[in-house]
Amino acid sequence: MKIKKYLTLTRAGIIESLQFRLSMLVMVIGNLLYLIVIYFLWKAIYASADSDVVNGMTFSDTLIYLVLATALFNFMEMYTVWQIGRDIQSGKIVLDLVKPIDYRRYIFWSFSGSFVTNFLFTFLPTFIVVTAVTHGAIHMGLNLLYFVVSVVLAIMINYSIDFIVATICLYTESIWGINMMKQVIVLLLSGATVPLAFFPDTLRNVVDHLPFQAIYNAPLTLLLDGDPDMKDVCITLGTQLAWCVGMFIVSKLFWKCSIKQITVNGG
Amino acid sequence: MKEIIRINHITKEFKVLNRREGLKGSIKDLFSRDYKIVRAVDDISMSIQQGEIVGYLGPNGAGKSTTIKMMTGVLEPTSGEILVDGNVPYKNRSKNAQNIGVVFGQRSQLWWALPLIESFRLLKDVYQIEDKQYNSIIELYKSLVDIEPLLHKPVRQMSLGQRTLSDILAAFLHDPKIVFLDEPTIGLDVSMKAKIRKLISALNKEKNTTVILTTHDMGDVDALCRRIVIIDKGKMLYDNDIEHLKSFFGSYRTLKIRVDGDLKAQSEVIQKEVPDFAVSADDEWISILVDEDKKKVMDVLNQIQSSHSIKDMKLEEISSEDVIRKIYEEGVE
Repeated sequence: MKIKKYLTLTRAGIIESLQFRLSMLVMVIGNLLYLIVIYFLWKAIYASADSDVVNGMTFSDTLIYLVLATALFNFMEMYTVWQIGRDIQSGKIVLDLVKPIDYRRYIFWSFSGSFVTNFLFTFLPTFIVVTAVTHGAIHMGLNLLYFVVSVVLAIMINYSIDFIVATICLYTESIWGINMMKQVIVLLLSGATVPLAFFPDTLRNVVDHLPFQAIYNAPLTLLLDGDPDMKDVCITLGTQLAWCVGMFIVSKLFWKCSIKQITVNGG
Repeated sequence: MKEIIRINHITKEFKVLNRREGLKGSIKDLFSRDYKIVRAVDDISMSIQQGEIVGYLGPNGAGKSTTIKMMTGVLEPTSGEILVDGNVPYKNRSKNAQNIGVVFGQRSQLWWALPLIESFRLLKDVYQIEDKQYNSIIELYKSLVDIEPLLHKPVRQMSLGQRTLSDILAAFLHDPKIVFLDEPTIGLDVSMKAKIRKLISALNKEKNTTVILTTHDMGDVDALCRRIVIIDKGKMLYDNDIEHLKSFFGSYRTLKIRVDGDLKAQSEVIQKEVPDFAVSADDEWISILVDEDKKKVMDVLNQIQSSHSIKDMKLEEISSEDVIRKIYEEGVE
């Protein structure tokens, strides 16, 4: 009975995102343009390199990774910070705070509908096209299962980070700069824009100890590794789970402390 | 009657940065620790019974919304105690949420892109409303307003009046014990205002829901509220029946008459006949401000009639708007 409370929000999210057909189309086109840029950029990088394999990755490895990273970004990015930030500025947050659902969960489940539609309309087509074009460069086996589990964990880590950043907005009452900074940091350090294999060793070492790599690098590594070693899989998923729990606790506590001292705008 | 809200000496203070002017000042502000304490609500106490409609009035910035936010559990009072149906709102926000409904005239809780019926279904699940209860309230709504055409219309395509009406229905959907209406008729046309007042009054009677209404429209107050509470600068100025508010300033009524001859000259004559009251004249009427504690209006009229031939007359109450403006401007004393 209780889960219905949340699934109804998912359902509304799906209906809502289907209302905006044009915006979906624009998103797909924007994506294509981005992918074309990536293609030529990395082609140039590989052309200027001495060998076909750079940092242990071939051109097609890199491209598959980045295309899937982009697709993953499109369905995981929830724009939570924008949403919460706008609600704080306009004072609409009051209406959500007086609902009999914990605010963190409420926002998460409200966005969950767009996961479903974005997964079906952007990630899945991209994945199928990549599989078809590369003739089986992506191994079809247990790695798909690991990938799904890993993505679920990644979504939760990503949400917790977003929520922490959104909570900071309660204090600053401005969103733009903070959100930009968050986006750049997350996309870079998670391996969404440049595969982590290309990072210099010292930076790589630092990044490995941050939660961001668990968002994009972890699921993509699990997906693209055709012959996964059980130990590596466990370590990757275990690390993700640890970050998931850790960030969850941090975001929850931070919210709990912050909500006490909010001053909601408007009269 | 059962007490539903109890407020004991609550105070709410905000810490506000003292801002300086200009570019230089703004840069200095980045490092400033110069805060001042603003007391938005200052020692307010009241008790509200189940089923009452209370008009919660005060000029802009008086602290009305802050008090309401404390009752809904969004803000925590700096000191003092609030009990809403036995719960401390900010400590038990979720439980309190089941008991209250909220409408802010300028914002909507409805799902913007979805037809109204979808928002209702969502709220049904979020508030875990039983099917039977849900169906019966929808039936009630259908009997009160013509919602059929609204149900399948996306909220973003509604007019402001339709949206406000829908928001009010949404707030009552889970049969809350208390509904907070914050300026529900703001920006609406006369006929929509009347419709909304009728709806609120009907729902209050039908469900015995307690309604706390903040508004700047005295028409709302006159149509709906028996009791009004007025605050200004965070302090309570008045808490009593609306009738009492008028007598509070003496039981004045304005008697307006028209007589033969020049009104200006006649008014001076009448002034001599009724020396206790102020008499004035404009192009149309001679106005006599009668204090009924001293003399009944009928007696005054009789007295004047014995010496003048009255062509026309009318009697005007002092409106609550006049009284409240007087309170806002001059205070209670």
